[in-house]
Order: sequence, then structure tokens, then C-alpha cells
Amino acid sequence: MPATRMSQTGNYKTTYRQDQGIFANRKELIWIVLLLVALLLAPLITPRTMLRDFDLIMIFGIAALGLNITTGYTGLINMGQGAFMGVGAYAGVVAANAFNLNLFFALLFGGLSAALIGGIVGLPSLRLKHLYLAVATLAFQEIFTWGVGHSRLLAQGGAIPAPAVSIFGFRDSFLTHNLFWYYLILPILAFLVLVWRNVLRGKHGRSLIAIRDNDRAAAAMGINPATAKLTSFMLGSFYAGVAGVLLAYFSKSVVIEDYGLDVGIKVLAMTIVGGLGSIPGSVFGPAFIIGLDRVMEQVANWLGGLNLFPSGVDVATALRPLSFGLAIMLFLMFQPHGLASWWDKLRQYVTRWPYKS
Amino acid sequence: MSQLNIENVTLTFGGVNALSGVSLHVPEHEIVSIIGPNGAGKTSLLNCISGFYHPTKGSIRFGEHELGRAAPNVVTGFGIARAFQNLELFRGLTVVENLLLARHTHIKYSLLSGAIFYGKASRIEAENRAYVERIIDFMELQAYRRAPVGTLSYGVQKRVEVARALTLQPQLLLLDEPMAGMNVEEKEDMVRFILDIREEQGVTVVLIEHDLGVVMDISDRVYVLDFGVRIAGGTPAEVSADPRVIEAYTGVGSGHDASDPASSDQASSDQASAGQVTA
Repeated sequence: MPATRMSQTGNYKTTYRQDQGIFANRKELIWIVLLLVALLLAPLITPRTMLRDFDLIMIFGIAALGLNITTGYTGLINMGQGAFMGVGAYAGVVAANAFNLNLFFALLFGGLSAALIGGIVGLPSLRLKHLYLAVATLAFQEIFTWGVGHSRLLAQGGAIPAPAVSIFGFRDSFLTHNLFWYYLILPILAFLVLVWRNVLRGKHGRSLIAIRDNDRAAAAMGINPATAKLTSFMLGSFYAGVAGVLLAYFSKSVVIEDYGLDVGIKVLAMTIVGGLGSIPGSVFGPAFIIGLDRVMEQVANWLGGLNLFPSGVDVATALRPLSFGLAIMLFLMFQPHGLASWWDKLRQYVTRWPYKS
Repeated sequence: MSQLNIENVTLTFGGVNALSGVSLHVPEHEIVSIIGPNGAGKTSLLNCISGFYHPTKGSIRFGEHELGRAAPNVVTGFGIARAFQNLELFRGLTVVENLLLARHTHIKYSLLSGAIFYGKASRIEAENRAYVERIIDFMELQAYRRAPVGTLSYGVQKRVEVARALTLQPQLLLLDEPMAGMNVEEKEDMVRFILDIREEQGVTVVLIEHDLGVVMDISDRVYVLDFGVRIAGGTPAEVSADPRVIEAYTGVGSGHDASDPASSDQASSDQASAGQVTA
């Protein structure tokens, strides 16, 4: 995390305002700009099928960033991120269908609805800690799945189509679907990252970290623990809600299966694999988990071709959860700080080269 | 009327009286020390003032505020800051970030302007950063500004703890054993800081300390607790001459049975410091 980085050479800051900057020096700013340009040009060279994975990585990146706010930065375990995505998706799509809202209002409405529910679900966090809180969020996930499944208004969990989107004259069509959404999701992700980075350098972000590190001391600093925890839950579920609406529009409909407990656990796994309390980690995690899925598909295809198993056994269905579980276990054992810590080490190595770090 | 008035405070934990009927008064701009053997209830009393415990009976008034039922963050808002006995710093954060956290109640902007950051939030953050720098200068922490607190030595962490409490800009500062585990030089520094805090910032100080030499030197007023009861109070000279205080610290006197293993244990461990009472 940049907050705890020592200042390095090339730092010529003379005012406190300059010291608030997101980047330690101009070099970092240039790298970020280059990265954004590279991301904007990436679809030119990536195959269209892979672009679909990029879209999913970014959508789950938003959800993982939200979970990182609640779990990584504030230390409140939330297993119901899937349900918060679902609240956003259903609210956004149903409202968009009913009131003919365009995508951006649907995103805002979905996010705010999820934040509202997040505030309510966060209430037990004022009393419960650690695993007990995790179970409370798990209960919300079950209530959500059951509630949607029994609600006529929400088609009892069946598909509710999302309206077609057209922005600045560009239309979502069959051939350009993945490309269209790539350029739509990328700026939304970048914007949400910037918003969180801004919150993080002010009093609100600091107070969340304080609650995580030492809630007694945080209270002695005049921070109201209840306000901070609810803010964290609401922010985290706002991000989940936005991700949920995007996922619904991207897959052209809302189905309850997309927002079940397994999704919440997958997002939690992404957050842990990426690195708790790290912004780049929130994108590394989804990239790793979704990438792993694709690799396992290839492996399964190859294994299937070897005719080792009786026909009718789908190797992929066995390999995917197996590799997923193994990856999480290995990360928890050997790299509890996630991919983000490798990223930090790599950056330090490059910065200090040719000196040893 | 003093700044902090504690009247008849009783604190009970399931039948055990941690404090029974303690009354004490802290006038503005004074350094008031609370001393007593281990387990006397000093920290419990501080916890009652700062809102971590709520007294079973009695009242604690700070100015016009009643603190008996107030939560810790509310008490802090009234202008009472506290440095903890066992370091309660945010270990992963830097010194500057720890101190900025103490500006929380002074930094006023909404979450929305925080999300935009540029403009209002940026300006207010910079102003408060400037205040933090003043405290860093005052507490001589310049060399550690950007170091994660967890990496600093114990003595420096203690100083950061006091600095953080001071950054809250309190009217009343509660210090719980700020000199425990320090060498003589570090203790001298800390005493100098405490005296400067009173002189330059006009802050009232309530000090819990085991080093009776320090206590008798710098306090305007000393209160002595033993087994949750206030047994003496007054100027350092009055207190060190009080026979009940000498008895509590040495076990020598009329009240206790000398063969009682508990009290003789206490006596031997406190012998050294008790020597300073009479010295």
C-alpha cells in the first residue's frame, strides 16, 4: 500500500498538498497513463473470446474492490457479496425496465439500493466480530436467494431481460458485444478506483483502517465505530451493486444463479488471492481466478482427448472446483498477502535495479 | 468547581469492587497524579473517565458534561484525550497517519467531498497536516515521520502515543504510565514533554505513574488508591507523609497482618519505590 511507503529519491515535494498526491513521483504517473493507453488499445490485438474474460475480470474487479473495502480495509468479513451484487442487479434492471432508465441511472440506482441494504445488513457488525459476522452475512445471502426464488415480481429467480444499451450512438450488437462492454466497463472501473483512492487519502478511509487495526484506539480518537463500520458496509455494497448491474446488462438478463453463495465465495477468494487491502490486488484476484478457469478448461480438453476416463465423465467440472480450492489453500498457506505483495516486490526490484532491494 | 469532578464512583465486576466510592477533583492546568500499588484500580478509573467502562454508581463530570454513560468517542469529542498503558497504536500506519487519525473530529467534510477530494477535502486535510507537523516538532518525532509505527522502538512508540493524544487538541490529557519500561534518559525527556504540554498548550494532565520520584517532582496534586479505595489525596508533601500511604506501599503499619502472604509479596516488590516516598 502506498500509504506506508517511505519516500524515495526523486521526491521534490514542498507543500502538504503535493504530499497528498496519489503518485509518489512523476514516473509513477507516467506509468499509469501508459497502462491506461495500453488497456485502451488492448482489444485491437486480443481475440474476441478473450475479450469476454477481460470484461468479466473488470466486473468482478469492481465487486472485489467493494469487498476489499469491507473486508480488506475495515476487517469485517462479508460472505454475502454475491447477494449485494444481486440486490444491485435486480434493483437496477427492474427499475430500468419499469421507468425506462438509461444505463447510468440504472447503475446509480442499483448501487444505491445495494448500499441501503448493505447498511441494514451491516447492523450486526456493530455487535458481532470475525466469524460470527461472517455467519450473519451468510444468513443474508440465504435470505436473499430464498426471497428472490419466492417472489413473483422477480420471476422467481428466472431470467429478467435487461434493456438494450446504446451510448453516444454506439449500439450493443451481437458481433461487437464484448468490445462494446469493454470500453464501457473500463472507464467505470477506473472511476470507481479513483473514488476509493480519494476516500482512502481522507478522513473516512483512514477511519476504516483504524477500525481494522485497533478499534479501541479508534474510538479513543473520536471515531464512532458504528458509523465507520456502516459506512464501510455501504461503500462495499455500493461497489457490489454497480458490479451486479453491469453483470446483468453484460449477460443481458438477471438470473438468481449469477448471484448465489458460490459467487460471494468466489469474490472473497478473488479478494484474498489478489491481496486484502490492495487496490491493484482487487483486479489481480479476478484475473487470476478467471484465468485459472480458462487454463483448467484447456487442461480438461487435453485430458479428455487422452481417453483416460470413461465417456460421460466431464473432466472440466471436476478440475475447476479442485483447482480453485487448491489455489486458495496454497495462497493462504504461502502467500497470505496475495498477488499484490508480489507486485510490490517486483516494483521495488525494478525501481532499485541494479541495486539489491 | 474543578475541571474534572469524580464523585463517589463505584465500579463493580460481578461482585468484585474495582473501585469503591472514589472521589477526586482535577483543577484546570494542574498536573494531577494517581498512584497506588498494582491492582489498586488506577487504570479502571481512567477507563471510567474515558468511557471504556461505565461506573456502576457515582458521577463523573467534565465541565458541564456528564461522562458516566458516554461512549469513548463521545468523551474524546468533549476534549479528553488518552494515552494507553499498553501501546494501542495503529501499527501498520506511519507516524503521520497515526497523528492524522487523531484529527478525525477536527476534520469536517462529507464522504462525498472526500470522494471528490480535490478542493474542500484537500484543503482541510492540508491544514490538519500542518497541525500534525507542529505536534511532530513539539514531541521531536521528525526523524520518524514516515516510518510505520510498528517498526519503531518501544520508547519512541510511547512518545508517539502521547503525541497522538496531544494531536486531539484536548483540554484534559490522561496519561497511563507514559514512562513504564523507559530508561532514565527517556524518562527525563518524557517529564520535560509533560511539563511543556502543560505550560505551552495549557492542557490539564492526569498522570498514572509508578515512579514515585517523578510523581512527587512534577505533580501539583497526588491521589493514592489502594484496593479500589482512595486512601489519601493532597500535595506531594502531604501524601508522602501520610501513614496510610506508607502502609499501602510498604505493608508496615497497624492495619495489615504482616504474615499475610499476599501483602508481604506486595511489600517486597514495592520496597524500592517506597524508599523514594520518604526520601
